[in-house]
Amino acid sequence: MEIKIDGKEVEVCPGETILEVCRRENIPIPTLCYHEAFGGQGACRMCMVEVKEGDCTRMVASCTYPIHQEIEVITMSEKINRVRSTLAMLQYRRAPNSEYIRQLYDTYHVEPMPLALVDPMEKCILCRLCVNACEQMGRNAIAMVRRGIDKKVSTPFDEAADDCIGCMACVQVCPTGAIQVMEEAGKRVIWNKSFDLITCDRCGKPFATRDEIAYMEKKTNLYEYEHLCERCRPKAMAKKMEALNRDNS
Amino acid sequence: MNQALKNNETTRQIMVCCGTGCIANGSRDVYQALCHELANHDGIDVQPVMKATGCNGWCEKGPLVKIMPDDITYCGVKVKDAAEIVDKTLVGGELIKRLLVRDPVTKSYLKSHHDTPFYSKQHKVALRNIGEIDPASIKDYIDRDGYQALIKVLQNMSPGQVIDEVIQSGLRGRGGGGFPTGVKWKSCADTNACPRYIICNGDEGDPGAFMDRSIMEGDPHTVIEGMIICAYGVQASKGFIYVRDEYDLAVIHLSRAVEDARDGGFLGKNILGSGLEFDIELVRGGGAFVCGEETALMASIEGNLGEPRDKYVFPTEKGLWGKPTVINNVETWANVPVILGKGAQDFASVGTAGSKGTKVFSLVGKVVNTGLVEVPMGTSLREIIYDIGGGVLDGRSFKAVQTGGPSGGCIPGSMLNLEVDFDSLTRAGSMMGSGGLIVMDDHTCMVEVARYYVNFLAGESCGKCTPCREGIRALLDILTRICNGDGQIEDLDLMEQIGETMQEASLCALGRTAPNPVLSTMRYFRDEYEAHILDKHCPAGVCPALTEFYIDADICKGCGSCARNCPVDAVSGKKKEPHVIDNSKCIRCGECYRHCKFQAVRIR
Repeated sequence: MEIKIDGKEVEVCPGETILEVCRRENIPIPTLCYHEAFGGQGACRMCMVEVKEGDCTRMVASCTYPIHQEIEVITMSEKINRVRSTLAMLQYRRAPNSEYIRQLYDTYHVEPMPLALVDPMEKCILCRLCVNACEQMGRNAIAMVRRGIDKKVSTPFDEAADDCIGCMACVQVCPTGAIQVMEEAGKRVIWNKSFDLITCDRCGKPFATRDEIAYMEKKTNLYEYEHLCERCRPKAMAKKMEALNRDNS
Repeated sequence: MNQALKNNETTRQIMVCCGTGCIANGSRDVYQALCHELANHDGIDVQPVMKATGCNGWCEKGPLVKIMPDDITYCGVKVKDAAEIVDKTLVGGELIKRLLVRDPVTKSYLKSHHDTPFYSKQHKVALRNIGEIDPASIKDYIDRDGYQALIKVLQNMSPGQVIDEVIQSGLRGRGGGGFPTGVKWKSCADTNACPRYIICNGDEGDPGAFMDRSIMEGDPHTVIEGMIICAYGVQASKGFIYVRDEYDLAVIHLSRAVEDARDGGFLGKNILGSGLEFDIELVRGGGAFVCGEETALMASIEGNLGEPRDKYVFPTEKGLWGKPTVINNVETWANVPVILGKGAQDFASVGTAGSKGTKVFSLVGKVVNTGLVEVPMGTSLREIIYDIGGGVLDGRSFKAVQTGGPSGGCIPGSMLNLEVDFDSLTRAGSMMGSGGLIVMDDHTCMVEVARYYVNFLAGESCGKCTPCREGIRALLDILTRICNGDGQIEDLDLMEQIGETMQEASLCALGRTAPNPVLSTMRYFRDEYEAHILDKHCPAGVCPALTEFYIDADICKGCGSCARNCPVDAVSGKKKEPHVIDNSKCIRCGECYRHCKFQAVRIR
């Protein structure tokens, strides 16, 4: 089926979201809470676009709107820009310590912030990607807690979570660098929990927590004799392949 | 009269209002006292039937005791009145004038509550049984034609006919959105997926609203009957009633009603021999306001965090556990048996072109007759507040009425002739909501009112989407600074800008309507905002930072009322001489201002 995006005819599969189609067609739509791995959440609302369904036009979140009929999408208008610029202002007010959000604010605004910042040190924009990542890892150690303006990401009762394995999947998906990690003297501290780091059997670099390795081995049912870091592992693999090739020839 | 009373003795019923409001005023003790007096009185030949009923609506006058069929209503009954009621009225056939309501104009004593302006202007459909039956008795419900609509539907109508009938009735969802109920049912019935679910939304959370509470407590079977009729219409097999856990009486009565309905063959397998299989489960909510939003409610039933999701695919297609789901509010369900029982035409004969039937409102705030009222759609605000509600408390002047709870808006006095229905309220910048009406007098600061509601939402928004969470936080901060006298005139434009983004971009209806209290007060009471910002003055004398009270020595009679009511002894003066306020001690609570009968206390 075909839809119109900014006047251009685009082929789509029924059920695809507007954002997925726009990404494929290289039509820029700003997002904060979207990640291909988790799909649309409709939380940050930066991806709002206008949709014409028959005679009525309304604003929708492109990341959660599934295309089921022949619609017309407008990805840039004065109204959309107004909404995005207000959202950028609200995001910056919330998380002014994030360089990423600071830049977002600057792309929409030239004037100074009209409101006092909530917390000058805050980086988190509550995009929930970290919670999604943790859930995908199968751990659910962190979650959204509380309601309203007190909403935050945390472990149960803000204590060290039994389920946390210190894998840092949350840190890797965080767009604003808001999750604090401390690594020193063979320890990693994250989400109020301290982990022993395992060192690479070849280069000696501390690279993963003991809990993380144990979880991975249990999940894959592959127990390895050697624990290698992300740099030594490909090297070792390459050596193995080299040896195999030599034997074969 | 004596004779008339005595002739009816055999079929007499004494109904004591045991709604939550009356219980708080001791109606259960009154009930017990009456039972005790009746049992121990020598003059009673035939024991009357005692009934603890649901809320009669006139909470202001509770506890209410009705004697039928004599049609006597006693108000404000206390335990010590029980003996007199039995002695004088039941045995002696005399009326006890002290306990009767008086006509507000003629001051004559009114024997029955039906004669009072509070009740005579009402039109009861959803509340038809409440106050007339014992909610714990399925027999009482059946005696008043309960489950007759269901029997008629199962015996004479096809599922399609049921849906058509509801569409023709023009019934619109009473929970706030006003979506046509029949159309909703039809779109669920038109899907292919199974199983299908039915949900009753009993998560009423608006401050000052108790319409659904009253129905669940006072007439639980009507909700159940409505749900079963829908289950037949859309071929659903399972229903859920999501009720706030704080509503303990509602939980008790609903649980009992579901069990009784099951025992009576109205729920379970092969309902009334028709082959229909449907059962209802009670789910108790944890008290989050946002769970009244249907997608958040379904997430909560599923055991997930009570957060809404985008509704680009309606719950009728993908609802509970991704299956087709019909979700309606308690009051909507209570209307369904009437529509099927009496026919769509009869139901649609009341109301306006776009909104059929009646609407229940909880009338609260600075109004004489606090309580629950049901009026035809299209009744004017003036009729509801002045004719039924008895006007503003203490003879003060009317300033505004907040409709639709925290997501609604404030409607000013100039619009009192507004005929209330879904569309007129939306046009006025407010909304029907679930039906809360909060009356405000001239001692109310509209900026503070907006701040109050935004503060409520700051704690009750789910906090998932940015415009709602951060928009509310920004509005709250701006309103707080205006109330503290630190506002700037640019703040008004900024609030409009943030409000527009919230309306356009928020995920659910809570966020989209959250700026309504701010935008509607800015629309109708802009002068008050400007007074706060430009003149650093709160005209209503509410915001402490912007208020200074003084006593006009020419007017003050020296009655001492201000001094007696001052909690910090800031008022001094000799008897019959003008008093003075010491502003270094004054905490700007306004007690002197409210208590002065001569309007000698002024705001600077």
